[in-house]
Amino acid sequence: MKVRIALYGALREADTSGYVELEVPAGSSIAELRELLVAHLAGHVPAIPANLVRRSAFASAEEILHNHRTVPEGIELAVLPPVSGG
Amino acid sequence: MDDLHVAVVERRVAALDVAAALDFVGDPRFGGITTFIGRVRDHNVGRVVTGISYDLFEPLALRMFRAIGERARAEVGAPLKLWIAHAKGDLAIGDLAVVVAAGTPHRDEAFRACRLAIEAVKHEAPIWKQEHYVDGDSAWSEGCSLCEEQREAERHAHGHDHAGHAHGR
Repeated sequence: MKVRIALYGALREADTSGYVELEVPAGSSIAELRELLVAHLAGHVPAIPANLVRRSAFASAEEILHNHRTVPEGIELAVLPPVSGG
Repeated sequence: MDDLHVAVVERRVAALDVAAALDFVGDPRFGGITTFIGRVRDHNVGRVVTGISYDLFEPLALRMFRAIGERARAEVGAPLKLWIAHAKGDLAIGDLAVVVAAGTPHRDEAFRACRLAIEAVKHEAPIWKQEHYVDGDSAWSEGCSLCEEQREAERHAHGHDHAGHAHGR
């Protein structure tokens, strides 16, 4: 299935469109999605350090999706680099 | 809920409003009001800063502000009115980045609620700060990971609890 991931903070620099789309096997976990994103960015935007993606969380508009969660179908996700508000 | 106001304010539209925050948390029951105001300062880690851009994942940020408010209410165990507003977009030196105001019957509860809320906003809400420097360079601040395994690892690596972190202002 295709998963669309909105980009924020330093990861916005990965794609000027503001998102990336990945092909993800149904039933994948968030941890697996993160590794797919690491591989995708390594191929397309080598300037983005893999460690930044490994320190990033995934979320829906409603909650943080931790590593053991299954990638939900049919909704846009967001990848959240380490936060620095205030 | 009427006792909790959360907002993300686009800087082009308006500045954060401290007077409105104080008005909101005021109540005949309350003798203690605390406010935290975060402003954009002109330096960071030895570099001259000319401005800051804030990026937010707005729907989740607003949900988290509400959750933080409910946590503060449970923590202080007293009647509470709380205002949490964060700016978005391009800010100049001196602009207000964040305003937290708490109203409670007594000062101890007000200080605790305000402190809890600002620390949680800084460490947990999906907000990113990009600093612009006098030499034309820009950089995203390093920040706190929201990924639970990473948070655990970073907490151990730093040898102290996350709440003691001193990044940003």
